[in-house]
Amino acid sequence: MANLKIVFFASLRETMKCDELELQIESELTVRQLKEKLAEQLQQPLLLEEKVKAAIDFDFARDDDVIEPEKVREVAFFPPVTGG
Amino acid sequence: MIAVQEQDFNVQELYESLCIAHKTGAVVMFVGRVRDFSDDPAQSSFVLEHYPGMTEHNLEKIVSEAKQRWTLLDVKVVHRVGKLSVDDQIVFVGVSSAHRAEAFAACDFIMDYLKSRAAFWKKEITPEREEWVEAKKSDETSLERWNK
Repeated sequence: MANLKIVFFASLRETMKCDELELQIESELTVRQLKEKLAEQLQQPLLLEEKVKAAIDFDFARDDDVIEPEKVREVAFFPPVTGG
Repeated sequence: MIAVQEQDFNVQELYESLCIAHKTGAVVMFVGRVRDFSDDPAQSSFVLEHYPGMTEHNLEKIVSEAKQRWTLLDVKVVHRVGKLSVDDQIVFVGVSSAHRAEAFAACDFIMDYLKSRAAFWKKEITPEREEWVEAKKSDETSLERWNK
């Protein structure tokens, strides 16, 4: 069992009315599985939209990247970036 | 040097700091600015949000990749966050090298990757509306030319 910090940014944070939360995970799961879990728990199906990007400990992550309990500290979800 | 900050930056000071090495033969700098996006520039502003930690981490990776691709003497990236108004400076990318080709290419490369890989989000604010800026597909496709 490990605590995972989950953070949301920009339009996603505003729509979900949530900037961060903690989730206990028992075993490894993919980014996609985490999205599905959160979409159901928070009743936020927009997390499953293709445009929602993810990062694991500050590195961009794909849907099939694995989140390992104990190793991963923070997962982020956000819309495509628009800096510069 | 990579800086993510609310305060404005001074291009002259950044330019001088890029010229310290006596081997510097070329300096290429890019400045991105807030352009007028409404009918009433005086009433329009931007809010730039970022992901503290990830933003700096990815900018470091982009600069490090540029240094591997080209022989560079120095690189400086400054990106502002918070509330910005029309005519404000947003971003500075400066590259120094012995010859111009490396500096031009590296500056272009860093800006292309910054647009698509650095964790910043812009929100446009006018008296009538607040709207998050949508990412442009052209920003993503412009990365393809660096993979050839």
